[in-house]
Amino acid sequence: MEYIAAFASSHAALRAEQACKAEALPVELIPLPSQIRGDCGFCLLLDGGGEAETEPRLQRLRDCGAVALYRVRVDQAGPSSRKVKSYERC
Amino acid sequence: MSDVRTVDARGQACPQPVILTRKALAEGGFALLEVVVDDASSRENVVRFASYAHCVVEKVEEEGAVSRILIRPLAMDVAEPARVFARPGPSAPEFPAAKTETVFISAGGIGGGDEHLAGLLMRAFLYTLTEAETLPVRIILMNGGVRLAVEGSESLINLARLAERGVEILACGTCLEFYQLKDALAVGRVSNMYEIAGLLLQGTTLHV
Repeated sequence: MEYIAAFASSHAALRAEQACKAEALPVELIPLPSQIRGDCGFCLLLDGGGEAETEPRLQRLRDCGAVALYRVRVDQAGPSSRKVKSYERC
Repeated sequence: MSDVRTVDARGQACPQPVILTRKALAEGGFALLEVVVDDASSRENVVRFASYAHCVVEKVEEEGAVSRILIRPLAMDVAEPARVFARPGPSAPEFPAAKTETVFISAGGIGGGDEHLAGLLMRAFLYTLTEAETLPVRIILMNGGVRLAVEGSESLINLARLAERGVEILACGTCLEFYQLKDALAVGRVSNMYEIAGLLLQGTTLHV
């Protein structure tokens, strides 16, 4: 399960990326999905890992300044069966 | 503020369900909006519109032909409603999708402002390319662009994802040699000016 961590600013997301990478947390800096906010920005995509790993990883993101966390849902939708991502706030 | 407002768009022809959804979102006053439709294309249009309108689709329940779409508007830093609806919705005229055959990258970053930002923008651009529905046939890397495809590049993962999906990655041999990176190429193959020039002249090219 993947999660998106949104921050108050792109600079905050960059600082969080550095902090997470220093602890070998599996994050990737990506553009903020437009379903979460329409203007541009960066966020962190987190691999939630196994059941026992998820909450500590999410808490670390909160400690790094995440203002919102979203569960990434991937659904097969539409006539072309294209995968559609949606984001559920957690 | 009430918890859930319901918009019953059953029996309404497209694009009425989207119009009713837009109207309800503009009015606000609820935490969740439930839109009820009774055909598949209205359901898809409302779900797509919710994404444009800075909302999260919490769930879609289907019972026979009837779909109930539960939408949560996001309060996080949303601009004034006029801007939210400024983008073309599903009922806007459709422009044919431009087909880019070649993406040509001649630097390690995008734009001439702050160098750090330029690098971040390139990372972001390549990530979004991995999510694109239609991919280019190839990506050509020249000059600073070749650095994106060598060991240690932060964009390597996205170039690798694109290569897995069949996008050809070509890196200029002259440039790799100039930067002494020929042995460090980690994705794609080495190309030359003749091949690159020929490919740039055929089909459509996007120079990033």
